[in-house]
Amino acid sequence: MTSTCVTEDPKLAVLHQLFASATHDASAAMCQWTDGLITLTLDEVRELPLAEATHELDLGDQLLTMVVLSLEGDIGGEMILTFDEENGRQLVASLLGRPVGSDPEWSDLEKSALTETGNILGCAYMNAITRLINHELVPTAPYFIQDYGASVLQQALMVQAMTSDHVLVCRTGFHRAGEELNWRVLFVPTAALREAMERALHRRA
Amino acid sequence: MAALTAIAVPQTVSVGMGQITVGGPPTRLGAVLGSCLGVALYHRRLRLGALSHVVLPDSSGREAPPGKFADTAIPHMVEILSRQGASTGGLVAKIAGGACMFGATGPMQIGLANAEAVRRELKTLRIPILAEDIGGTKGRRIIFDCESGTLTVEIAGCRPKVL
Repeated sequence: MTSTCVTEDPKLAVLHQLFASATHDASAAMCQWTDGLITLTLDEVRELPLAEATHELDLGDQLLTMVVLSLEGDIGGEMILTFDEENGRQLVASLLGRPVGSDPEWSDLEKSALTETGNILGCAYMNAITRLINHELVPTAPYFIQDYGASVLQQALMVQAMTSDHVLVCRTGFHRAGEELNWRVLFVPTAALREAMERALHRRA
Repeated sequence: MAALTAIAVPQTVSVGMGQITVGGPPTRLGAVLGSCLGVALYHRRLRLGALSHVVLPDSSGREAPPGKFADTAIPHMVEILSRQGASTGGLVAKIAGGACMFGATGPMQIGLANAEAVRRELKTLRIPILAEDIGGTKGRRIIFDCESGTLTVEIAGCRPKVL
């Protein structure tokens, strides 16, 4: 896993360090879960105007398959694992050791394989952040959803939108044998979690 | 060779979270909604419309882009339209969105609060709601045609509805 920080904002640069470390852990977990097939890279940690969020994150009006994990409490947030249909199907097929399914409806087993992937990634991120801020984060059960990516991101941004007209989003990409896949993890912390992470990183510095 | 006639293809202008956009024919205004609410105001005689992408119900006096909150978005839309000659008495509304995206057990159930706040503001300004498509657990893609005043609502896996 590699990561390059390109931001000039010192606060975002600090958060980038944290998410790079969390992504490293998540990459190791994903590599193990997929028998070494898949790795992760931290694409960006970015603060952007609310009005531009879905457009800038290229979610537009595409229909996506997603797994959503929520972190409950003020110090919380949302993690969304997104796939296009083809890539989601391919992942599930490789996890289950089956050919790619052709039924438009996802079976319970396929949904379970995908939500478990979300769970593994989510727990790896949560553990890394918990270690840093010394505050236990409690994720909900992962939630399988097929919908417009922008609609789901919008809901995830809602808590940040209550206190700010800008939102912070961490975006991670996936690779298989060096080739980029059309999967993403979007992590949207609440303002309180963001502050807790910044404080912890300053203490550590 | 027959002469070719150029036909203007209407562009769909995307309206982001907290934004308000005004348009006349042949403009189409679009948004993708989850718990947010799309509020379309239309003046039939002038064929002038505005779409807002409302994020939250109540500004509580906070400084923010006016389109973000129901209590500031609708008065602001009315003001913009009136500057273009559209009186409040000639306006009609269509609204869509307000889903509970992560189900009834999800972290935030703001969708229905948004819908209630928008209905309240429209009632205060005596703007009739001609049609609405609110709630549920799925996102919506909407397109507001400023020529006809129709609001097309698409939900994944369902046939589009024309309001």
